[in-house]
Amino acid sequence: MAAAAHAKPNHDYHLVNPSPWPLVGSVSAFVLAVGAIIFFKARKGDAMMLFGSDLAAAGPWVMLIGFAGVLYTMYAWWSDVVKESVTGDHTPVVQMHHRYGMILFIASEVMFFVAWFWAYFDQFFRHDDVEQYARVEAMGTTWPPIGVELFDPFHLPLFNTLILLTSGTTVTWAHHALIHNDKNGLKAGLWLTIILGALFSVVQVIEYTRAGFPFAGNIYGASFFMATGFHGFHVLIGTIFLTVCLVRAYVGNLTQKHHLGFEFAAWYWHFVDVVWLFLFAAIYVWGSWGVAINH
Amino acid sequence: MAGKFLRSIGVALSAAFAPTLARAAEGQPSPGEIGMQDSVTPIADSIHVFHNGILLWTAVLISLLVLALLIVVIVRFNARSNPTPAKFSHNTLVEVIWTALPVIILVVIAIPSFAVLTDQMTMPDGQRKYLGSNIFSFGSVDVPAPAVTVKVTGSQWYWTYEYVDQQKSFDSTLLDEATRLAQTPVQPRLLAVDNMLVVPVNATVRVQVTAADVIHAFAVPSFGIITDAVPGRLNETWFNSRKEGVFYGQCRELCGKDHAFMPIAVRVVSAEAYAAWMAAFQAGSIADANATLPPLSAAPAA
Amino acid sequence: MADTHALQAHDAHGDHAHDGHGHVTGWRRYLFSTNHKDIGTLYLVFALISGVIGTLLSGVMRLELQEPGIQIFHGLASMVYGYGAGDAAAALDAGKHMFNVFTTAHALIMIFFMVMPALIGGFANWFVPLMIGAPDMAFPRMNNISFWLLPPALLLLIMSMFFEGPAGAHGVGGGWTIYPPFSTSGQPGPAMDFAILSLHIAGASSILGAINFITTIFNMRAPGMTLHKMPLFPWSVLVTAFLLLLSLPVLAGGITMLLTDRNFGTTFFDPAGGGDPVLFQHLFWFFGHPEVYILILPGFGIVSHIVSTFSRKPIFGYMAMVYAMIAIGGVGFIVWAHHMYTTGLSLNVQRYFVAATMVIAVPTGVKIFSWIATMWGGSITFRTPMLWALGFIFLFTVGGVTGVILANAGADRALHDTYYVVAHFHYVLSLGAVFAIFAAWYYWYPKMFGIMYNETLANIHFWITFVGVNLVFFPQHFLGLSGMPRRYIDYPDAYAFWNRVSSVGYYITFAGLLLFLFILFLSARQRVKAPANPWGEGATTLEWTLSSPPPFHQFETLPRIDAKSDH
Ligand code: HEA
Ligand code: HEA
Ligand code: CUA
Ligand SMILES: [Cu+2]
Repeated sequence: MAAAAHAKPNHDYHLVNPSPWPLVGSVSAFVLAVGAIIFFKARKGDAMMLFGSDLAAAGPWVMLIGFAGVLYTMYAWWSDVVKESVTGDHTPVVQMHHRYGMILFIASEVMFFVAWFWAYFDQFFRHDDVEQYARVEAMGTTWPPIGVELFDPFHLPLFNTLILLTSGTTVTWAHHALIHNDKNGLKAGLWLTIILGALFSVVQVIEYTRAGFPFAGNIYGASFFMATGFHGFHVLIGTIFLTVCLVRAYVGNLTQKHHLGFEFAAWYWHFVDVVWLFLFAAIYVWGSWGVAINH
Repeated sequence: MAGKFLRSIGVALSAAFAPTLARAAEGQPSPGEIGMQDSVTPIADSIHVFHNGILLWTAVLISLLVLALLIVVIVRFNARSNPTPAKFSHNTLVEVIWTALPVIILVVIAIPSFAVLTDQMTMPDGQRKYLGSNIFSFGSVDVPAPAVTVKVTGSQWYWTYEYVDQQKSFDSTLLDEATRLAQTPVQPRLLAVDNMLVVPVNATVRVQVTAADVIHAFAVPSFGIITDAVPGRLNETWFNSRKEGVFYGQCRELCGKDHAFMPIAVRVVSAEAYAAWMAAFQAGSIADANATLPPLSAAPAA
Repeated sequence: MADTHALQAHDAHGDHAHDGHGHVTGWRRYLFSTNHKDIGTLYLVFALISGVIGTLLSGVMRLELQEPGIQIFHGLASMVYGYGAGDAAAALDAGKHMFNVFTTAHALIMIFFMVMPALIGGFANWFVPLMIGAPDMAFPRMNNISFWLLPPALLLLIMSMFFEGPAGAHGVGGGWTIYPPFSTSGQPGPAMDFAILSLHIAGASSILGAINFITTIFNMRAPGMTLHKMPLFPWSVLVTAFLLLLSLPVLAGGITMLLTDRNFGTTFFDPAGGGDPVLFQHLFWFFGHPEVYILILPGFGIVSHIVSTFSRKPIFGYMAMVYAMIAIGGVGFIVWAHHMYTTGLSLNVQRYFVAATMVIAVPTGVKIFSWIATMWGGSITFRTPMLWALGFIFLFTVGGVTGVILANAGADRALHDTYYVVAHFHYVLSLGAVFAIFAAWYYWYPKMFGIMYNETLANIHFWITFVGVNLVFFPQHFLGLSGMPRRYIDYPDAYAFWNRVSSVGYYITFAGLLLFLFILFLSARQRVKAPANPWGEGATTLEWTLSSPPPFHQFETLPRIDAKSDH
């Protein structure tokens, strides 16, 4: 862009060119937020009055426009990043920035999951807290709560655990292949990981359809579905991330020395994996420990 | 005590500014007041002594210490009196002192703090001794086991009082201004209610608090109590008033548009009066019961 | 402090033609900016506008509270939401709710859209790179979206005031703490959803900002500037950024639960479905308490620099200052339930939180005393920034010691949810964080904009504000002690006197704000050029080695910090 006519500075940092994407992205986020509210209200059949006109009549469209804007921003922004990576802006120190950035982002994601685990443990440990008489009335003092049929952890959940663990090894395989400049190994490893990731999601959907408790109206269902659901959402993101890497592997801009995008996809994948292990251990196994499962 | 001294300044100040100064009253705030409402329970006693006797002093003295140090610095080390700055930036001794000293102060505070807290959180069983105003004793005040249990339910925007053993309940709502002025002008604006919670003097009252819709909080300053009224949860507190009279409180958790308009009024009466009131209540309505009590203007409110 | 007399390579380029790399002009310069100084300026302008809005909101509240009775809000409600003359009762009800809407908006705007953007977005963006000798932030483009997410977030919050909240009323009146069930079943209309998504977006902005600052500070310090030589302001920002990074996602989770409870029938906070309203309070305060240190830590950093500059003495006890901030940040994560003593926590849990909370007084005291020791033996000039810094030290102490009083659950029983708490937190916020903002503003104004301000008027601005805010908030201690609850549109007549004093204090403060705006106007008109370093030899950090304003891209050759310098 405007980088012409300028002596290169004596440092290796990347002074990024001005970019429209942040602004486009935040405007889209705004539209998405307003659209989401409109959609929520329209879905429930509620009106959403602003000075006498009912915005809920707009239905899901505003939200979809905002969502498209956000997706487009991501696409355009990350395309720029990819371009910059191949034109030499990503010096070693800049790569280090990105590593820090990714680690910190994952740290914040971990804290996001802390909230969902907190909600789960609040009812798991305190289900027999008699001070909370209404909870006790609704769910009983027993575990599992009244009206909840737990999953057998060693059935589909175990299968899914194994899938995810395997996918963790296949992504490492792909990484090794990349480091040893084995393009075919890279592609094969990525293909496998993506397929396993997709399989996980499919199995998770199947499991959801068989749940012995509802999402709404019940704290167990709420915390179960939101915790595992956000995990599933992260699996989806991770799968897309890996797919982008696969495309880049075919295009050929992941190189033996320089493949941060791939590394971050792998880190993210491992993070998603570890969250699952915690979910599996805490909610599925511990939550059903000593409980007779009938299915 | 510092509190008394400061309060007299406050009252003097407000006498200067507020021509309609009423006499300081019990169980409700008084104009220009700068301290806590008078205490009538062992729990409020210990809060008062803990706050006025230790916490307030610590806070005031530490603030004054910092202020004094700042003034010294400003006077002695301004550019005119001290044109060439010193260069030091370390002094291990003072650093140790100003780390250790606050630790000691805090430990000294923590001892009565824990004791006061434990009293508040422990339902009397008739055996346990309470601190009262001597917060450094290990308990010297006798408190009987609960004689009355009241279940308090907060709703938007009124309170429901249920005498659990008698299974009798009634609602308590803010009196609108016209009615208050016509019927019971001795009661303060925004604190007056139609039906007061009535309890016996010198008896321990167990208060169970919950809510029907959103969170409210049941608070009576003269008793030193506040407990959140959380839907679906039963919280407990207790009080034992040594004085007869009317003691006001207000909802203390934001609960919507009329959060400021759901006061609490507790009428503490003699054991006999309470018995008569309760008998009438059990036989008839809350209005019948209230009719057994003398009109408020005659009640010793102050 | 990093001893930068040892600086070897100044940025010799000065102001000359740096319009090459990424220097677009016109509106694109700001809208598309990837320059930390331009983005910092955007943040400051945004914070100033929000600050004025927040101040006006509190003004209407003080006007209402000046006398017992309801004077303002029923009329305001009929004006804004159009209740006819025959609808007096409806207008009154709407007005009562509207007061709570103002309280809520005032708090959220002051915290999320004034203090945080000013201290972190504004001053930290401007000066962290300058002070650590970096040419920009680590992620300049992400820096821009951190800023640009804020206007939509503020807009969502303001929009919330025009949608239905509780049945038949407008806006979110749940307080900034938005406790359920009042924020779920209590206010079913879309207003609450707007506020929730506003917080989501503002939170995302802050998390991205936090990632940016941590990376910048860890990875872009000039050669030779070890962490132990880094100036205290970047240090304070580093700790703050960690608090943001680790606490905001928990709030995000909590308010997402609110959102699904409201719109998808989950029962996280609904006891009828086995949920627990108090769970939200835990999630909120697990964020909320670190948040209050997020609001004050950058101020700590700023005050350190100003005190050292105007005393012409290095910071006393630099290492202790650094570790005190880390300790405050760390302990800040394990004290949250001191906001919840009355919710039904068990005795032992309350004991723990009492003890843990009081611990924070120790590192904070270390900071207060170290500032005083920095001045001790110094040669102090009382320029405007120094006045604000001195005011900060004293008034923050007052707010801090009342915090310690509140920390004692046994005493908090008398004070919780009364004006005592309001007094406490305005002393640390409106007289703490805001004083730090004005201190920083006057300290760095010449550097940022290259022009001076009128020193006399700025002095007067300080004194007016000092008198004003103390008059507003000191009497609120009295109101709280005698039991006046917070979030009340009307109060028993006994509280009239101190409320009147408090409102009068507001008018004085507001006059100060007008004077401040006039000072800006005057300075912009007179354009008295500022030297590179207006404060003399006491100002030792790197930003003073650059021109005022600094070149568009500073440090094209990185400065080198001498290895043998110490503090
Ligand atoms: C900048 C913001 C900020 C800061 C820095 C603080 C600092 C502190 N706060 Fe405050 N607080 C708030 C903002 C802040 N707070 C807000 C916004 C609320 C209300 C939220 C709401 O409900 O809406 C609140 C509420 C609040 C409560 C809940 C009250 C209630 O609702 O009932 C408590 C209780 O423990 C508390 C305690 C403390 C303590 C112990 C500190 C300590 O960090 C203070 C430490 C400082 C000092 C002590 C002074 C300096 C020290 C010395 C000079 C050394 C010697 C001192 C001693 C030995 C005591 N705060
Ligand atoms: C940073 C936070 C902050 C600040 C600065 C203020 C400032 C003020 N606040 Fe606020 N307030 C809160 C945070 C803050 N408040 C919170 C969290 C609550 C609790 C809400 C709740 O209960 O949910 C509250 C509640 C609250 C109440 C209680 C309401 C109630 O319980 O019903 C009152 C009543 O008097 C009040 C008044 C004021 C006044 C008169 C000021 C005045 O000091 C304002 C004067 C203005 C200034 C001092 C200058 C402002 C700054 C700028 C203009 C920016 C400059 C920017 C640059 C230079 C870049 N506030
Ligand atoms: Cu009920 Cu506030
Ligand atoms: Cu706190």
